[in-house]
Amino acid sequence: MTTPTAQMVRIMIDGMTVNVPKGTLVIEAARRVGVMIPHFCYHPKLKPDANCRMCLVEIEKVPKLQTACSTPVDEGMNVRTATTVVNDAHKSVLEFILANHPLDCPVCDQGGKCDLQDFSHQYTATSRFTETKRVFQKEYFSPLIETQMNRCVQCLRCVRYCDEVMDVKALAPVGRGTMTEIKHFGFHPLDCEFCGGCVQICPVGAITSRLSMYEYRPWMLKRAETICGYCGDGCQMTVQTKGQELIEVNSAHGAGRNNGDLCARGFFGFHAASHPQRLTHPLIRRHGALVQVTWEEALEYVADRVNEIKAAHGGPSFGGLISGRCTNEELYLFQKFLRMAIGTNHIDSSARYGHVNGLQAMQLVQGTHRWTVTFEDILDADVLILVGTNITETNPITGLKVKEAVKKRQATLITIESLEPVVDTMSNIANLSHHHFRIPTSDTHHAIVGLVKAVLEQNLTQPDLAQRHPTYVNAMTSALQQISWQDLQAATGIEPDAFVRAAKVAAGARRVVIMAGQLLLRSEQGYSGCLTLLDLLLLTGKLDAPGCGFAPLAEENNDQGAIEMGTVTELLPGAQPITNDTERERIAKQWKGELPTDKGASLIEMLERARVGSLKAMFIVGENPVGSLPAVIHAEASLRNLDLLVCQELFLTETAALAHVVLPAASSLEKHGTFTNTEGHVQAVRPAIEPVGDSRPDWEIFSALSILLNSPMEYAESKEILKEIRSLIPGYSSLGPTPLPPKVDHSAVDRYLTDGYQRDLASRYHPISRASRPDGTVRLELAQSLFHSGKLSTRSKGLLQVEGSGRLRISPSDAARFALSDGDRVRLSSTSGEMTTEVKIMERVPQGTAWFPSHFGQAAVQLFECAIDPITHVPSFRTATVSMMKVA
Amino acid sequence: MTFVEKYKDEIADILSRYPVRRSALIPLLYVAQRDQGYVTESAMQEIAHLLRLTPPQVYETITFYTMFNLKPVGTFHIQVCKSLMCALVGSDTVIEWIKTKLGIGPGESTADGLFSLSVVECLAACGTGPMMQINEDYYEQLTENKLDRILTDLRSTGTSPLKSGPFMWPEPVKT
Repeated sequence: MTTPTAQMVRIMIDGMTVNVPKGTLVIEAARRVGVMIPHFCYHPKLKPDANCRMCLVEIEKVPKLQTACSTPVDEGMNVRTATTVVNDAHKSVLEFILANHPLDCPVCDQGGKCDLQDFSHQYTATSRFTETKRVFQKEYFSPLIETQMNRCVQCLRCVRYCDEVMDVKALAPVGRGTMTEIKHFGFHPLDCEFCGGCVQICPVGAITSRLSMYEYRPWMLKRAETICGYCGDGCQMTVQTKGQELIEVNSAHGAGRNNGDLCARGFFGFHAASHPQRLTHPLIRRHGALVQVTWEEALEYVADRVNEIKAAHGGPSFGGLISGRCTNEELYLFQKFLRMAIGTNHIDSSARYGHVNGLQAMQLVQGTHRWTVTFEDILDADVLILVGTNITETNPITGLKVKEAVKKRQATLITIESLEPVVDTMSNIANLSHHHFRIPTSDTHHAIVGLVKAVLEQNLTQPDLAQRHPTYVNAMTSALQQISWQDLQAATGIEPDAFVRAAKVAAGARRVVIMAGQLLLRSEQGYSGCLTLLDLLLLTGKLDAPGCGFAPLAEENNDQGAIEMGTVTELLPGAQPITNDTERERIAKQWKGELPTDKGASLIEMLERARVGSLKAMFIVGENPVGSLPAVIHAEASLRNLDLLVCQELFLTETAALAHVVLPAASSLEKHGTFTNTEGHVQAVRPAIEPVGDSRPDWEIFSALSILLNSPMEYAESKEILKEIRSLIPGYSSLGPTPLPPKVDHSAVDRYLTDGYQRDLASRYHPISRASRPDGTVRLELAQSLFHSGKLSTRSKGLLQVEGSGRLRISPSDAARFALSDGDRVRLSSTSGEMTTEVKIMERVPQGTAWFPSHFGQAAVQLFECAIDPITHVPSFRTATVSMMKVA
Repeated sequence: MTFVEKYKDEIADILSRYPVRRSALIPLLYVAQRDQGYVTESAMQEIAHLLRLTPPQVYETITFYTMFNLKPVGTFHIQVCKSLMCALVGSDTVIEWIKTKLGIGPGESTADGLFSLSVVECLAACGTGPMMQINEDYYEQLTENKLDRILTDLRSTGTSPLKSGPFMWPEPVKT
């Protein structure tokens, strides 16, 4: 990669002078001056292969034509791309390709966006070959991806993308010469990550999507540039529609934070919005059943009931819960509606499930509520530390950044993951790791402690830290002395040496980025784990160093927005603590009202209050606590106890089924707004289709209700809400192409080093108590699957074809121990409950561990206990010890 | 018993020869082919696992080289060179002869399971074409008569004196 300090060279292309860094490829240099050299096999993301020979150019003083895609520029080079010789060469290459390419453009889905079609047209190429064209045996390839190998031009872009970018290696060129075809393994249908990269990168119609086969021509489609709603990565995608019909999703090279890459969810998951079970009309419960009503009836009913309840019990008898999948505008308006129109601080969002842990740790130690790094810093890092991420499945595109940093830019990777490093059908980040700590999710914290201990004992701490803050360093040192290496080794199964080696690598590097994923954030040690990771950065002097930082990965696409909009009870808009009086005053002044003074309740507290009857009414937007929370929380019983439950939903979920009023909401493909991705980048969401049925964007519903409740929050469009957000929250003023991360707040760091650390030092660094797992049990973890995210993806027909039901993933050795083979049924039971499911043997699952995909987890969730973090109030129910038994 | 278990020692020996693990791919495929006469799917999977490759990568390599078989072949695997040098001196004719005599085309086997025919790339005996390899042996400067004798010998004794060692030196040009 070129750096700004790279030596510049001056070259001529078709008579135009261009200055580019030395080492740039001729084809890229030409692109800079607007000269497009035709090519098939070249792609900026891939290493040059120069196999298609289409990009031949003349270079002065070089006797033969050269391939522009593999020739680096050099000082004084004179390149000509439009001479007769070059033109003839291009023509003859095309002629060879057309010798075998079928002229089936009328039935080819690539027609209209095909490079070969365009070049043929440009060069009016014909082929003099009269021999029979090669014909491949047509074979079934996969449920989502169609191959038509007769059309293949053998540029191998798909194979190289699958290897170099994705690290999956599911595709291979099979055979030799003309008869080379792209296949998976023998006659087996494709089994891979289904990122759709091969479909996107194929220059012709050899690999296409089956979801939109034979349905359209590119010129028939309307396009909307929007942001994917499936995870916190915030990928830009182009949704293509014909009328109200969703046809295809892709992402242009260079687009968005994802640089045109997508994962299975983004590429194949778009059908959730057009699922036939979408709610299309408001529903009101009458005589026990939900019946269809008009919007006027529904809204007036809600307003009347709210007024009654408020008059009888006051504002604080209301609570609200919203999903981090809503737009910033909606999140903002929701909390404003609850705080101003209703008068309650009982507000929570899905960020509570884990993201709050990372946020509170960052606020305590470094005084920011966002990453201090960006995706670019991940790419440029010298050392990357991944802790409990399972990044391929949770945040696949951030995962691609890690892969690129390691594979192309020689970053050193340290992973603390519950993953066996094996090669299977999906990429596995542990395979790229230089220091892999394979540790069950529930013991992740011990491994982090091991790294901190190694840093302190090996004197890898920043030299002047001990002088400036001796009490902190001494307190840390003595706390860690109480934890012996023997205990750490017993708990983690890792030699002390391994920790020392990894700690030395991390401490010695210049640019270190630590990423914490869902598995850590949602665990019982989520908050303390994040603090310990921040301790690690602090001790090694990396917390405020350029290019270094802590990056908790957001699970939902707008968890970060939920935090920044103040949609969690402890925060005001701008992620300011609710106890901050100057902020309260400023916001109250702008809102022209009084902020409620009560201390708000978080999700679990709200449910508890509902159970005992002090909370009377709830607004639940896009969340499903009944389906997501374990039985011990008794979410259903609590919600049944409410006098009024209003749900805004896309589908009739378990929670919505209990509601008194269900209001149909528009999905993110049907509305304007903004999402804030995991790195704190605010990006525009644009509608691809009209709201389905009578559904409405959530913000319109809040706005309409506020008018009926006589505290009008009127906005003509969501942009007006964004304007208001901008006036309140810094960082939302411009939506640029790259985020500007905040800097570490040094006064906050000093506060932390002086006394902030003391609050929970003892609880984080305590001697390890040894607990052994009884025989016949496994450690069950609720885990995210690559093919699903949240509950919407399970309504997407494309993703259901890849993974249609929840299967328990177990390791081969446990399969042998319990005498199980693929597809066998097992009964899992814990002290809390039991369930029966099918097993799937996967080598990447460590022995003694079993994973169940959380999106199919309604039954599994009953097996878990729920631990609630005393500081962040995050409910954790992701791991349990269960006994497993084969059933017939 | 799995392939890897069966040839444990030999595989360990092969792996020890290569500093880069995946370099052992072709030698291991030879072992697998020797075992069954062709490379089975399960052997491919085992080898992939052993070398930390994906099965498609192993499959790709096998299909590139003509010396690996993906399906069972006859007792005698006839591999006729079809590269340029042999083609100039009549490899097409050799293939036709075999077709007439055995009734099989490239990629096919005789019903009795004795013979299979493949056409392959250069076997480095360009001076003595047309030529073919049967199992491990070369037969060079083929004529129809010679081919008949080879096939008869193989049927009766399982070997033929007409085989020419690792390869035949070109005869000195008479001046």
